[in-house]
Amino acid sequence: MVKVMMIFDQTQAGLGGKESPDLPMGGKPMAIGACGMFDRFLDENDGQVVATLYCGDGTYHADTETTTKKFAAMAKKFQPDVVICGPCFNYASYAIMAAHTAKVIKDLTGIPAFAIMAEECTKAIEDYKQQVTILKMPKKGGIGLNEALSAMCVYAKMLYEKQDTKAFEQEYAY
Amino acid sequence: MGKFEKFLMPMADLLSKNRVLIAIRDGFLITTPLLIVGSIFLLFANFPVPGWEDMMTSAFGPDWSSWFTAVSRATFNCTGLLTALGTGYAMARQLGGDKIQGAAVALVAFFIMMPTRHQATGADGKLVEGFVSGLSFGYIGPDGIFMALLSAILGVSLFVYAYKKGWTIKMPKGVPPAVMDSFAALVPSAIVLSAAFLIRIGFSFTAYETMQGFVVHILQTPLEGLGNTLGANLLYTFMCSFLWFFGINGPAVANSVYFIGNILTAKQQEAFAAGLPLPFIFTNPFSNFFTNYGGGGSTLSLVILMVTTCKSKRIKQLGRLSLVPGIFGINEPIIFGLPIVLNPIIMIPFVCVPMMNLTLSYFATVLEIIPRTTGVSLPWTTPIGFSGWLSTGSFVASLWQFGLLILGMVVYFPFIRTLDKKYLEEEIAANAEVSEEEEIDFDNLDLDNL
Repeated sequence: MVKVMMIFDQTQAGLGGKESPDLPMGGKPMAIGACGMFDRFLDENDGQVVATLYCGDGTYHADTETTTKKFAAMAKKFQPDVVICGPCFNYASYAIMAAHTAKVIKDLTGIPAFAIMAEECTKAIEDYKQQVTILKMPKKGGIGLNEALSAMCVYAKMLYEKQDTKAFEQEYAY
Repeated sequence: MGKFEKFLMPMADLLSKNRVLIAIRDGFLITTPLLIVGSIFLLFANFPVPGWEDMMTSAFGPDWSSWFTAVSRATFNCTGLLTALGTGYAMARQLGGDKIQGAAVALVAFFIMMPTRHQATGADGKLVEGFVSGLSFGYIGPDGIFMALLSAILGVSLFVYAYKKGWTIKMPKGVPPAVMDSFAALVPSAIVLSAAFLIRIGFSFTAYETMQGFVVHILQTPLEGLGNTLGANLLYTFMCSFLWFFGINGPAVANSVYFIGNILTAKQQEAFAAGLPLPFIFTNPFSNFFTNYGGGGSTLSLVILMVTTCKSKRIKQLGRLSLVPGIFGINEPIIFGLPIVLNPIIMIPFVCVPMMNLTLSYFATVLEIIPRTTGVSLPWTTPIGFSGWLSTGSFVASLWQFGLLILGMVVYFPFIRTLDKKYLEEEIAANAEVSEEEEIDFDNLDLDNL
């Protein structure tokens, strides 16, 4: 079984919307919120969400270093096989948090981590795509969500099995 | 479902990326705020409380209502003109041409092809003998919308085509850019206006006399009839919520095809302002305020259930957070947070409740339980109760809205209960597996030894 940890913002966690960027960091040792969108794809790839961590995008931007470090420390504690930061859709501010967090977790703990966001999140993609894998997905309300979420779960399994991901990244990542 | 998706996705893709359809949709977006403001003025002139008219007349004299209708007329009775401008601009933006020049060319082409000889009434209210020449509200208003769309789409396409072909007058270096641009637009504009000129002459030999007469007769009137049927509106409502299930913003796709509601609304408002019988049922306010409460899928019913009947901590918490946005028609938190996207359990009521509301409200209107909407356009964020009252002028319509809200709760109930049970089991299982408390605590982390 692939143990997956999710990193969400307030909207994906089901704890608010744009009006609540100040949501403090938190988490549950289970799948919550937007996980319901892709649980069947996770099942198909023998994956299970062991923890969902979340943080309001405003909270992250107030202190980016501590927030990402705390995420990394929590990843170290839970020891998941893969950390997925996203899906960010076209929430640009969450996308920066996701890409940054994926990089910090990967660098500090060695646990495979990646982000997934829409092409509209230009800043996050430009700043981080060299350092961390960022998968493609449609913007909110865009076309091809099913396919992107399925690819996200397939990729998680590939990372767990230490498969060669080069060809996959060519097609699905920025 | 997979097969269905394979068929549906390319279609949605085509519709949402087609440049003409995007231009039509965006063009209406430019006029919408003006129509809402115009509506507020009209609402003031006809505020739905007893004694309002007498009170205002005794305060401001008998002419007071014409002050307000002067503003609403300048928006609603000019919808055709605004559409030519808005769509011309949006079309030029889609095609990568000069936007303001595109809007101007569309507008002038629209004027060239419309009737400019009219019968008129003088100040004494009597018909003036013979014809007068000028622009008529009858042609630059809602009846001009289709003609305006055609002028904008065809005119701007031709304009940008000529421009990109390089059929322009080139100025020597050193000429200021503004001067250069205006000369660059010269030849393409001449081509568009000449085409409109030839079309005008061509139609003058037919029974329709002008292209606009032809378009109204052949295109607009039949489509208005179609747009005012229950079947067409059920299909529209179905697509709006069904596409959300795949994560696709349904209204964004469906509105690019289904823009006839804008025309029905403008004509309804025109009739209302003139004190004539209201011709349509399916105006935009009708589909906004008698189909969905709390956003697409009529999710306010769902949110109320989440707060009052659900036991899962997650659902309860999300419900509380979503209640206030839901009252104003925003349901983004639950679209992703519950989630509704790609969730087969919630999808059934999410699609069915709006269709049920639409059908019941249609029959309630036909049976005259609730009055027809007046065409007064309110922001779609207007809360339930207020929206029904202000869009029809009747409190019965408000009561009707609350009735539908409760009925929606009945339909949503078994589905959210199923989901609630599932989440509750997950929460209990998660608590049993992990010995520590349910919330993950970030306070006592060792950040130094990473």
